[in-house]
Amino acid sequence: MLLTAAAASAQNQAALPDWTGVWQMQGGTVFDRATQTGQGGALSKGVREHPPYNAEFEAMYQRNLKLRDSEKLPDPINTCGTPAGFPRLLNVPDTYEFVVRPEQTWILTENGPNVMRIYTDGRAHPAPDDRWPTYTGDSVGHWEGDTLVIDTVSTRMSHYPESGDTVLDRSGLILSDAAHIVTRLRRLDEQTMEAKMVIEDPKALTAPWNVTKTYRRLPKGTRVYDYACAENNRNPVAPTGETLILGPDGKPLGAAK
Amino acid sequence: MRSKLIAALLVTCGLLVAAQTLVAHHAGTMFDENKTTELTGTIKEFQFTNPHAWIQVMADTKPGEAPKEWSVEWGSPNQLSRQGIRPSTFKAGTRVTMRIHPMRDGSAAGNFVAAKFEDGKVVGRWE
Repeated sequence: MLLTAAAASAQNQAALPDWTGVWQMQGGTVFDRATQTGQGGALSKGVREHPPYNAEFEAMYQRNLKLRDSEKLPDPINTCGTPAGFPRLLNVPDTYEFVVRPEQTWILTENGPNVMRIYTDGRAHPAPDDRWPTYTGDSVGHWEGDTLVIDTVSTRMSHYPESGDTVLDRSGLILSDAAHIVTRLRRLDEQTMEAKMVIEDPKALTAPWNVTKTYRRLPKGTRVYDYACAENNRNPVAPTGETLILGPDGKPLGAAK
Repeated sequence: MRSKLIAALLVTCGLLVAAQTLVAHHAGTMFDENKTTELTGTIKEFQFTNPHAWIQVMADTKPGEAPKEWSVEWGSPNQLSRQGIRPSTFKAGTRVTMRIHPMRDGSAAGNFVAAKFEDGKVVGRWE
């Protein structure tokens, strides 16, 4: 007797791990906390991370750090227009949902909001000529037991801030559009999800860069809300890169603006 | 009884709220985190909106002079709601004393630290 497509899908679903619920990233939004030097968050003066950058990208990161220190490094998501992009998508505040289906897994972030699609139906990445850099990139995945192994290419990170591309955090960490990221996503226990990334980038890095993020489960029944950033954005970014504060009349506060 | 429960909830939630950095959408560097100032006045409006909630307060000035409007920035309604804050937490017309980290350039705005109502109810960390 042939199984119907729906029955086959349901059967496959039963074999997949249970990642239901609502999750929240642990720790601050410093992308690579393991190599952080300096005290504070990604915006604090003197804080930096230490990816195995080559000289060119180290110089670009140092330039971004200087802009950050002078409060002139715009955060691309403050425009309320562009997505966080990958891998920053694994480094945002607010809630996460991991929706596991036989043919795709979706990572939904409340902040943004952002959607990341990981194809698990056996397809490969498009051929190089058939793909172009996008914020979230192209991701295909396969299961190794209860671990989803995600292979991501074609992300959009290069010469920020001139390019308008994405950053990994507010210190100004960047990669090139040649980045290749393998993420091992799994549930460590009832309360914890782990995303273990190995980042390779022949244009930016001299060695693989390992970064791990963890997420804790929020109480059962937690709701996820709209995050319409343009609803009442009183913090627009000025052409100088500074983030403004708008007063009740809609005009920027502060004498210098 | 119910109001006592709500007050207790607000105090508990306030501690949780204050313990987190709530300026998530943008840099908080325009606020002086090392300085806390106090405003007393009347709530004009609570904008329970993304990406940040804003409390508009008509702060008292000198006797006989018009109050001055201050803008107090807080977290996103998503974060705040999960910590027990509601659009009704700051009702227009309510008298309140607020503690804020003020803008470094002296503008009439700041980042929320805590608030105390006339009945003693506290939201945030009031130490």
